Amino acid sequence: MSKKSFVIFTILFLCFGLMMSGCPKKTVMKEEPSVKKEEAVKKEEAAKKEEGAKKEFEKSLVATKTPGIEGEVFESSLLKDIRFDFDKYDIRPGEAAILKDNAALLKKYPNVKIQIEGHCDERGTVEYNLALGERRANSSKNYLVSLGISADRISTISYGKEKPLDPGHNEEAWAKNRRAHTIITAK
Amino acid sequence: MLKYFFIISLLFFSFISSSEARVYLDINAPTFVQIPIVLAKWKSVEKTPSPFSEKAYEILANDLTLSGFFKVIDAPHLPPSLREREGIPNTSSLQEWIPAGGEILLAGETLLESDGLNFKLKFHLFDLVEQRHIVGKQYEGPLQTLRSAVHRIADEVVLQITGEKGVHNTKIAYAVLQGPGKEIFIADFDGANVKQITQNQSINLSPAWAPDGKKIAFTSYLKRNPDLYLINTDGKNLQRFSYYPGLNVSPSWSPDGKQIVLMMGMEGKSDIFLIDTNGGNPKRLTKGHGNEASPTWSPDGESIAFVSDRSGSPQIYVMARDGANVRRLTFEGSYNTNPSWSPKGDRIAFCARAEGRFHIFTIGIDGSGLRKMTSNSGNNESPCWSPDGRYIAFSSTRTGASKIFIMNANGFNQRVLTSSKGGESSPAWSRRFE
Repeated sequence: MSKKSFVIFTILFLCFGLMMSGCPKKTVMKEEPSVKKEEAVKKEEAAKKEEGAKKEFEKSLVATKTPGIEGEVFESSLLKDIRFDFDKYDIRPGEAAILKDNAALLKKYPNVKIQIEGHCDERGTVEYNLALGERRANSSKNYLVSLGISADRISTISYGKEKPLDPGHNEEAWAKNRRAHTIITAK
Repeated sequence: MLKYFFIISLLFFSFISSSEARVYLDINAPTFVQIPIVLAKWKSVEKTPSPFSEKAYEILANDLTLSGFFKVIDAPHLPPSLREREGIPNTSSLQEWIPAGGEILLAGETLLESDGLNFKLKFHLFDLVEQRHIVGKQYEGPLQTLRSAVHRIADEVVLQITGEKGVHNTKIAYAVLQGPGKEIFIADFDGANVKQITQNQSINLSPAWAPDGKKIAFTSYLKRNPDLYLINTDGKNLQRFSYYPGLNVSPSWSPDGKQIVLMMGMEGKSDIFLIDTNGGNPKRLTKGHGNEASPTWSPDGESIAFVSDRSGSPQIYVMARDGANVRRLTFEGSYNTNPSWSPKGDRIAFCARAEGRFHIFTIGIDGSGLRKMTSNSGNNESPCWSPDGRYIAFSSTRTGASKIFIMNANGFNQRVLTSSKGGESSPAWSRRFE
């Protein structure tokens, strides 16, 4: 093979190679960036969303200390109270959605531990209301457990009628005070 | 030591009536008329009369009024000729006291020893209708025991007139709202000597006297759980002794002081449990799915009354101390709570919702003889009996904020505990201190 023919062959070969590999590559090249981009954007968005939610949750945490009660705990506006009927401790259908939202949040943050406080309105005796508050806290806990939240992440406490949210002496205040309130004991 | 000295001094009675004891007033009758008793001005027998006799006189007049058994005719309400008459009369001169308008005459003398640290009190009781001497006694002790000595005189007068000693040397423990929490206080029967025994800013609830009168059990949220604590009545030696997760509330001591019955939440709901006084050996007494609350011992220690909503609404039940033989006691109304077993064992006081308000009722232990004891526009809760069973203390909102009230066991003579300023609840009556 002469030197000249070798060069031509090589060029042709390279051209052919380029053609063979170039054409399909071209189409792939055209598609690949868009797919990758979409996936990346989706991922990024999800991450951002999660990050945002995390930030929102973290932002929502308010450290609280109560005089005469040991320990610093956190409260989050994202964990909502549920309310109860007078002298009742069953979860009202309308309140179940709130507990579902609370459960969804808890699933996102497996390290978070909570305490559910059972509260009552001022009517009735100190002791019977403590029993009722115990029941309210536990029925809320059981509902969260039924939604897949591990029981060892949830403690309960009854405050009976000792810690009213609203100090009023009327129906409106009483309705607010018959509640299960959630606090965060570990982040 | 002071107490010891005081008890010794009681041995020196000047003399005791030779006439046989009789009962002037049957206070167990559903209604009774208060006996009019004349309180002659007390005589101060020192060379320089001291204000000390006036002090003793005031405490005594208040005690006898509080007892509910007497219509007290004190010196300012006597005819002018008797108003300033003091000292102990001879039986032969008793007719001079007839214009006073009383059936009984109480006369006394005080002596403050020259050291200024010790006193002597002497009193004599006379029957003005039969013109005879009933009893006379002398007490002495250090000045700090004056109130207690006067309360003893009042107790003795009540004994002579009703056949049973009074409860003037008793105390009442209660919870008081302070800021967002509650603290435990104690006061004498007459509202004097108010003492705050917890100062921890927590929520402190349901005080219960140990039968020996030296300690109080109560619930506190100090460790973010309603745990049971013991504290000395001087506020010292706080001990946490029942701290199972959930409720450890509403303690009631067995009469022998060896066990405590209480509400516990170990099963995810409130049940009645029995524990030792060191918090050990918890034993569940109630079975089933109801909310069980507010246990109280019978005075013989054999039975326990409690609240259960097992029938759909809170009602009073009675069971044996081992949880057997449960029977329902109340059937009227849909909210019956806070039972308290009378020291005589025959009745149970409780709190019931009636006409939209909470009122104090009593009922026989066989479920008969239901009586409504309060009727006012407020809520009346947490009844507890005096150790002699002749009074019931309770909380009431009839004058606004919740206060501690006392009434005779027949519902008469309802009055506010003098020390009560508002925000008080959950009274618990001590044994007699002697």
